[in-house]
Amino acid sequence: MRKTIILAVFAVIGLGLTVLGSTPAPASTTKATVAALATKASSCSYKAIQPDLFKVGVLTVATDSPAYEPWFDNNTPSNGKGYESAVAYAVAKQLGFSKSQVKWTVEPFDASFAPGPKRFDFDINEISYTRDRATVVAFSVSYYDVQQALIALKSSRIVKHHTPADLRTYVYGDQIGSTSLAFINTELRPIHQPSVFNTLNDAKSALQDGRIQALVADTPTAQYISSSEIPNSVMVGQFPSTGEHYGLLFAKNDPLVACVNKAIDTLRANGTLAKFQKEYLGIYTSVPTIKP
Amino acid sequence: MPVRGSREGADLDEQTLLAPGAPPPGSFEGNGRGSHLLGGQRAAAVSTVSTVVFIGAVIALFVFAPGAAAVRHTFFNPQQMKEAFLGDPSKGLYSVGKGLILNIEMFLIAEVLILFFALVIAVLRQLRNPVLFPFRMLAVLYTDVFRGVPLIIVIYGIGFGAPALYIRGISTQSDFVYGIAALVLSYSAYVAEVYRAGINSVHQSQVAAARSLGLSQWKSLRFVVLPQAVRTVIPPLLNDFISLQKDTALVSTLGAVIEANRAAQIDSSTLFVYSSYTVAALLFLCLTIPLARFTDRLIARDVSRRLAGSGTVR
Repeated sequence: MRKTIILAVFAVIGLGLTVLGSTPAPASTTKATVAALATKASSCSYKAIQPDLFKVGVLTVATDSPAYEPWFDNNTPSNGKGYESAVAYAVAKQLGFSKSQVKWTVEPFDASFAPGPKRFDFDINEISYTRDRATVVAFSVSYYDVQQALIALKSSRIVKHHTPADLRTYVYGDQIGSTSLAFINTELRPIHQPSVFNTLNDAKSALQDGRIQALVADTPTAQYISSSEIPNSVMVGQFPSTGEHYGLLFAKNDPLVACVNKAIDTLRANGTLAKFQKEYLGIYTSVPTIKP
Repeated sequence: MPVRGSREGADLDEQTLLAPGAPPPGSFEGNGRGSHLLGGQRAAAVSTVSTVVFIGAVIALFVFAPGAAAVRHTFFNPQQMKEAFLGDPSKGLYSVGKGLILNIEMFLIAEVLILFFALVIAVLRQLRNPVLFPFRMLAVLYTDVFRGVPLIIVIYGIGFGAPALYIRGISTQSDFVYGIAALVLSYSAYVAEVYRAGINSVHQSQVAAARSLGLSQWKSLRFVVLPQAVRTVIPPLLNDFISLQKDTALVSTLGAVIEANRAAQIDSSTLFVYSSYTVAALLFLCLTIPLARFTDRLIARDVSRRLAGSGTVR
């Protein structure tokens, strides 16, 4: 009996030492990567960025499932259609990857900011940059400047009556984790507490059943919902920009960010981003603006 | 008699809690007073060292792991834990503390309804009158279905299904009501089975005695069987209610009920840290641990009472 206990104690000590002994290895790798970053910042060639990749020779791109339109097409990120899919492939091309070298992986939104090693090179999932979020993960520069928009059923009072004072009186709903919810709370400041749903699809069905009176989403999503998903709904209008933008999400201190930023800057300068916006988000021009 | 009983209870506590190094009951070590003391002291020393080393290793793991700083920042950030507890509307942060009040409300309302509803189901299943056969069958069907279907699906089904029906009085209820309805439906099925086990544990001779005294079938159930059955099943009932306390969090999937877990989720996705979940977990522990200890005490009291009644124990 006593021997067993003593053995157990040694086993625990041994286990502890093994775990601690193994820790310096990853720590030193991180240091090496950081050192490499300093020398490599100038070079973004295909060869130079290989050590920074999740998997050598492959650009691993993450998004959530379902991937919503018009950001993706038919929940199939790998078909190159939809704004975000097109942007991801264009960035890959700038970095020297062929289309077949881009590998898509599913990363739930909640998991994308978990501490620990990331299982992707970057995540493209309509994620808005905020200062608080940027203390935990890294964001690229903007690949899309976002405005929030209001969706309601055509029969709703909100369609005609949406002065700032009116807007406070409605029951809103939104998907969890969206900056649209923060927009409702900080800009619209409704009297009734907004409903918060697990997915955008739950929020849509609540709108259809009249459990909420209006839904707030980014303008392209709002346009898509009102034009293609909920037949008797309408996009009431969009709100003025708050300077919000979507960025690609990286691990904190990922050396790849600098090179991807360069690629996005190039795509903006040569008109590729504008072209994609026209192609995939094109029906969403000339939307009336309403004041929160 | 009760004195003897409580001593038994204290002995049990001492062996399982106070002296972890003491030999387990029924082992050969520790027979005879002297060796028991000697073994007890040594075992205590060894167990102390073992405990210190074990806890030390666990702490070392958290402090020296390569990602320890990131984990501390994400899960145990005091500033963000405070913000999550209190909420901050200017930052779009919800209060987890306020959310917990909703959990407690849902739990208390659901508990009362479940205790009543489940007892009705259990009694229905017990009645042997042939006229009542369809009710008995319904009760069996009910417990089978609602024990088998995951609670979250029941919540979704009622919360999203009822409003879509556009029935007056039913389709216009709040998510709070739908959530409680789902909790009651699901948990009543479990609790009805707990009651039934209690009813079956009452010996047949009790019923025979009651009937021989001239009590009707219903009266013998009401005045002889049920009082004994309910007393027996109080600990397992409380166990189900500990589980119910946590499952109130699932009601948030309907949208309008921003309880503690949902508030934590929102805060987490706003700041990209999980400290708000830590707050929610701690608050739930504050709810469930007292109930768990209370259950333990009831069980211990029940054990001591039974032993007290059974004459010689050893």
